[in-house]
Amino acid sequence: MSFRDLLAYSAGALRGHRLRAGLSLLGVAIGIASVVLLTSLGEGARTYVTGEFASLGSNLLIVTPGKTETTGMAPLVSVAPHDLTLGDVEAIARRVRQVRRVAPLSFGAAPAAVGARRRDITVAGTTAEFQGVRHVHIGVGRYLPAGDLERGGPVCVIGAKIQQELFAGENPLGEIVRLGDERFRVVGVMAPRGLSIGLDLDEMVHIPVVRALKLFNRAGLFRLLIEVGSHEEIPAAKKAVIEVLRARHEGQEDFTILTQDSVLSTFGRILALLTAALAGIAAISLTVAGVGIMNVMLVSVSERTREIGLLKALGVTKRQVVAVFLVEAAILSAAGGAAGLVVAFAATRTFTAVYPGFPIEPPTWAVAAAAVVSVSVGLLFGTLPARHAARLEPVAALARR
Amino acid sequence: MRDFLWLAWGSIAAHRLRSALTMLGIVIGIASVILLTSLGEGTRLAILSEFTQFGTNLMAVRRGRIQTTGVPGALGATVRKLTIEDAEALRRVEGVEDVVPIATGTARVEAGERGRGVVVYGVTSEVPRVWRFEVGQGRFLPSGDPRRGAPLAVLGPTLKRELFGQANALGEHVRIGGRRFLVIGVMAPKGQFLGLDIDDSAYVPVASAQSLFNADELQGIDILFSAGVPAAAVKKRVRRALILRHEGQEDFTVFTQTEMLDVLNRVLGVVTLAVGGIGAISLLVGAIGILTMMWISVGERTAEIGLVRAIGASRAQVVRLFLVEAALLSLAGGTVGLLAGIGAGWLLRLAVPALPLRTAPEFIAAALAVSLAVGLSAGVLPARRAAALDPVEALRAD
Repeated sequence: MSFRDLLAYSAGALRGHRLRAGLSLLGVAIGIASVVLLTSLGEGARTYVTGEFASLGSNLLIVTPGKTETTGMAPLVSVAPHDLTLGDVEAIARRVRQVRRVAPLSFGAAPAAVGARRRDITVAGTTAEFQGVRHVHIGVGRYLPAGDLERGGPVCVIGAKIQQELFAGENPLGEIVRLGDERFRVVGVMAPRGLSIGLDLDEMVHIPVVRALKLFNRAGLFRLLIEVGSHEEIPAAKKAVIEVLRARHEGQEDFTILTQDSVLSTFGRILALLTAALAGIAAISLTVAGVGIMNVMLVSVSERTREIGLLKALGVTKRQVVAVFLVEAAILSAAGGAAGLVVAFAATRTFTAVYPGFPIEPPTWAVAAAAVVSVSVGLLFGTLPARHAARLEPVAALARR
Repeated sequence: MRDFLWLAWGSIAAHRLRSALTMLGIVIGIASVILLTSLGEGTRLAILSEFTQFGTNLMAVRRGRIQTTGVPGALGATVRKLTIEDAEALRRVEGVEDVVPIATGTARVEAGERGRGVVVYGVTSEVPRVWRFEVGQGRFLPSGDPRRGAPLAVLGPTLKRELFGQANALGEHVRIGGRRFLVIGVMAPKGQFLGLDIDDSAYVPVASAQSLFNADELQGIDILFSAGVPAAAVKKRVRRALILRHEGQEDFTVFTQTEMLDVLNRVLGVVTLAVGGIGAISLLVGAIGILTMMWISVGERTAEIGLVRAIGASRAQVVRLFLVEAALLSLAGGTVGLLAGIGAGWLLRLAVPALPLRTAPEFIAAALAVSLAVGLSAGVLPARRAAALDPVEALRAD
């Protein structure tokens, strides 16, 4: 019997019991579809997060005040014996060779008012450098003007959503926003950016950093963002920054330096683990589907006892009988896998159409794995029934009713 | 009904391997759902107990206003600050028992040659009562005017061990951020809170912490309120008192321990449900298995069904016969699955003793109910196929 004959024979046997075959196939389809869907969601989330981080630039160092040796993560609290000061910013900009830009960041919430409209607003104090470091796009007007770190005019740049809420869509350029008790002139509006991890620029007002420190009555900065020339220079830059800051902080390392890489790899690991766990749980259903196939095949063997007896009497070897039933089981589960993949692709397409901001797609490796796994499920669970069939005694099998 | 059960059992027993395999699908499904939900429930309870170790009639004031749920005040500053005066004013609010102003930061604590960067809490003498912390050795910070600092420190047990080893720490001096503090007490071990070692910390008077960190504000104020008073009423009064002090601005957030627990409970409940739901996919596949086998069984037993009908059994009775068979298969599978799930959990517990695992009685009831329902719904189609057979035609079948 050639392989083609084998295929045709098995397909014929399956066609004889359409409903039964369809149901066994359905089990595999459900299993494969759910595993592929879950991995697509997980992969989508991972790509999304890494994309968000990559948009910050891969050559970024973040300095936060305070250091704990116990957790190794960013310190919970942003207070330490020595503040990160504007002096530190200047020292880093001057003394660390690899640095391309340094943007100080001071954060806080303040009541904002334009005429009678008011709301609480997140205020970020920074410098013109921030635009380059965080790739801020300006809708109208311009970003904070460059100039002396220690001085800054009473100007502000507002987020797109703030513009809507405080100015109701009117032209805000040149208008005055009151933050706390101080007045700031609007010089620009940031282009809307939508959802973004960390800072939601749409709902933020940027003012010169000295003004922010004064507004919040603070000496210390919330963070320092340092952009270096290239990704390769990060370790050297990190070392140099540590040296400069230690010298300025009486020899103490009371600050923490984060790189995108460390944050990124932690996130990536957690998400990959989560995806694997969920997909693994869903894969349990594949085992159940395999058991179903095995059961149906066993029934089919006992129904076809006479047929098997006839085949054997005609000189078909044990090995060939095994092949017949294995091929039948494999066809069943492969067809189920194919159906599951079709469902998974349709579902991800629909999902992406509904949430265009979060595109998901079955990863290639998952599709390949689904194909391999579905065929192997059939082969694995088909083994027992196939051997059952092969062991039948030809004479006794023929004699059975 | 007894007869039905007997008949159904007979046909299940006649095909042992087939019935066992059909059941196996349900066994795997129920076992995995039980195991996963037990894990979820265990995790939920473990996290809840981490929170309730601080007591339940606790309320926290944090700077900054957050409308959605989240960690308020995690970012930066506000224009008007929370001060020690605010905390003192809250003492006079009706229903408030104790108030702890909190100024925290990270600093290096040194004794002799050894040093360690830890979280330093600037607090008052009320901490042992409000946070339910116990002092192991010596005593906690003395009471007195919170606006006045004192060079006194209480160490967490981990920090004490790192700095002094087995030696006595009481009466010794430590340097925190370069200043000298006298150690007057060591806390009793409390363990981890959400992965953060709370034993690795130091406590100093709040005013000392403020001057250490060069800040005139507080990160927050923790309030212990009287057990008999409703939390909502106290929360309202606390808010009103603070708004008054902050010139009409609500630039802070008050939340009670119960509110936080509610949010956590909801989140963890949803996660458990989602994971359990994914696990239940195998249950669905198992149900399809039952459907397939029952369908085959009806085809095989056409002659038998014809006979039963010919001797006067009604269609309803035939339907019932097959439904009972399906339900029996599935319920038996569910029971075995339940035992397997609990057994697997028990084995896991042996391997990883720290694993939080709890099988709620309602899960067990739900698992049995679900497996019964799965069997009944999987049996409907085959049972109707059997009932629809024409007795005469069926009898003639081979």
